[in-house]
Amino acid sequence: MKSRREFLQMGVAALSLPIAAGTKAAASPSVPSKQATPAAAAPVQLYKVVFDTRFSDSVSFAEEAGRLGATIHGIRGDMTDLWYYDLDARWKKSPVAIAGLTAHGPLFCFEQLAWNHRMRVVFRAEHKYLPDGRVEHSITGPESMVQQASNLRDANDWPNRIANVIANCPSARAKMTQAKITTASRKSAPQENETLFSWVIAPVKRA
Amino acid sequence: MKVPPGVSPTDFAAALAQFEQAVGKEWVFTSDEDVALYRDAYSPFIGEPDEIVASAAVAPDTVEQVQQVVKIANNYKVPIYTISTGKNLGYGGSAPVLSGSVVLDLKRMNRILEVNENNAYALVEPGVTYFDLYRYIQEKGLKLWIDVPDPGWGSPVGNSLDRGGGYLMAQYRNHFDSHCGMEIVLANGEIIRTGMGAMPGAKTWQEYKTGFGPWVDGIFSQSNFGVVTKMGFWLMPEPDAYLSGIVYVARRDDLIPLIETLNYLENTRVTNGMPDLGSPLLHIPMISEIAEWNEGNGPAPPDAELAGLLAKGEGGLSPDLEQYALKNGIAYWSCKLSFYGAEKANAANWEFAQEKFSKISGVKFVQKENYKLPLTPEQREKVHKPQFGIPSLTMFSIGARSPVNPNPTNGHMWFSPIIPRTGEAIFEANRVFAEAAKEFNVPALSFSLPSTYWERAFIYIFAFPVTRDEDTNKKNRAAFKRIVQRAAEHGWGEYRTAPAFQSVIMDTYAYNNHALLRFHETLKDAVDPNGILSAGRYGIWPKHLREAKA
Repeated sequence: MKSRREFLQMGVAALSLPIAAGTKAAASPSVPSKQATPAAAAPVQLYKVVFDTRFSDSVSFAEEAGRLGATIHGIRGDMTDLWYYDLDARWKKSPVAIAGLTAHGPLFCFEQLAWNHRMRVVFRAEHKYLPDGRVEHSITGPESMVQQASNLRDANDWPNRIANVIANCPSARAKMTQAKITTASRKSAPQENETLFSWVIAPVKRA
Repeated sequence: MKVPPGVSPTDFAAALAQFEQAVGKEWVFTSDEDVALYRDAYSPFIGEPDEIVASAAVAPDTVEQVQQVVKIANNYKVPIYTISTGKNLGYGGSAPVLSGSVVLDLKRMNRILEVNENNAYALVEPGVTYFDLYRYIQEKGLKLWIDVPDPGWGSPVGNSLDRGGGYLMAQYRNHFDSHCGMEIVLANGEIIRTGMGAMPGAKTWQEYKTGFGPWVDGIFSQSNFGVVTKMGFWLMPEPDAYLSGIVYVARRDDLIPLIETLNYLENTRVTNGMPDLGSPLLHIPMISEIAEWNEGNGPAPPDAELAGLLAKGEGGLSPDLEQYALKNGIAYWSCKLSFYGAEKANAANWEFAQEKFSKISGVKFVQKENYKLPLTPEQREKVHKPQFGIPSLTMFSIGARSPVNPNPTNGHMWFSPIIPRTGEAIFEANRVFAEAAKEFNVPALSFSLPSTYWERAFIYIFAFPVTRDEDTNKKNRAAFKRIVQRAAEHGWGEYRTAPAFQSVIMDTYAYNNHALLRFHETLKDAVDPNGILSAGRYGIWPKHLREAKA
């Protein structure tokens, strides 16, 4: 067991990257990827896509999301200001979907806070670096997204591909499924290899 | 759909239908998907048959609706479990103690009823969060601070009723102590108000705590005797300035006079903020340094010699460590003192504090922070926000992954014993807990320093990890119970715990054949004869369930 101090101290060395927070890549809301399958439901409109400036994979993800038309928002591990100055008021007006590729902490916070507004995590993927440098992706989400994610298999640009998957998150309630895929990764510094999570949090009509 | 224990499906269906009439159909939750949201996010039983889960949830919006729900529950003997925001993570979250209870979710009761700047108090409903109250105060430009826990996403009502703590001046850090007046719905649906609130038209409900006659407020904390629907709090007027200074001492046993002097200064209110202990030698950051160290701005990693010495000590401290510290000019212990008040008074109090500590040979002092208040935006980014009354979720960004907890995503259980406010007690507690960790086969405990949320006593807060592995969770739960017993054998009781351990810990408060628990049960039987309110909370079971367990 650890004391509370040690528990809080067990962090990851930060890697600062020169990406400005709150970059708006395009004025329009999220647009579907060109890879969207014909049968996919209309994608959910994403209010913001969150990335963590400490991790190059997350930055790549955000750059691709921006290219796809999303409003991206950078955090440095701490989502408090995004919550306090933006989402808290926004969600009180009406629930709007958000997405991201972050460490677990921000996802956990957004998920807990979103429940108060009848929103859920509708897509979640864990991207875990293996000792040999490959990345294991454990994906849970709508069938169409998991199917699209299967094209990660031969990719070494998984953050970009995940951004495309997320851009196609259906807005309607969909059958959920799971998959586990392993990919190569670009070389990155060891301290960056924090397990990251891609996710979509969206309003869900009660069953 | 799960049905509460002791309730027939027919009665439960009737109760749910009446709940819907009382609060509106959309605010009664019975689907598996909705009810799953009320699981303990840090459940140590996750995935096991013993996991405690709700059967349904109902979310009223007004006191009148709470009264109706309670009356319906009483009529059908449906057990209900009250939560405010359900963010009591590490201590149970939003899950009930009695599996199958209906969660009474007070999140919708989120009105800030009054904030009085002149007399520095607020009156709020249970669903008001620290962030809500902070925003209200900021938007109105009031010169008031709230004392927040860390993280700050819970509610003042919920946190204070569970006797949580914060970071400002002592009289505000103890969140229950800083309350003034309550309104409660009893199990029979009747409303009472405590303190001056018991007088109709009282002008001082949030100004004078005790009213007339027995002061009953305490029995509604860490208990299940009523549903609190309003609570008043004393707030801290924004001080003129803040100053912090760090005291460094050189030797192991200097911890003893360091704490003695600290106690004197705190008890005479020379220092009025939260003392913060650390050890540069042992690489134990002060709480206010943790974020900084995690960003890579802490001390250099131990050299081979120090690493070897640290590896040898497990709760006990090798005398070679002191020699290393003296040889290399590294302080053994540090203590940050905080001063809130007039700028000149802070400086004078810091000077006086240094005079008092000067009896310790080799003591050094560093003045750390000195701010006129309010903080500038730049200062705000640098400080430990809870020490300035600013709620934060920063701690979730710090992370908890480690070789001993490679999968931290499942949370933790807090083991929180109270120990005496002495250096000797710190040494003894470390020795005892390190030995216990070895004996109970949990990861080794390196030397640890307590926190000072409360005046007059120290608190240790240890995290037992919750993992994805059922066997590991079972082992950790068993170890938790054993270490609770070990602490009790040394006279150290816990101050708070998750539902899974509430009865175990209440059992350690066994003076005179568990007279205190028997007193609680007498009260319970009197005020809640059908035992519908939060059954089992803090070990207080209603009569019919005590008899069933016997």
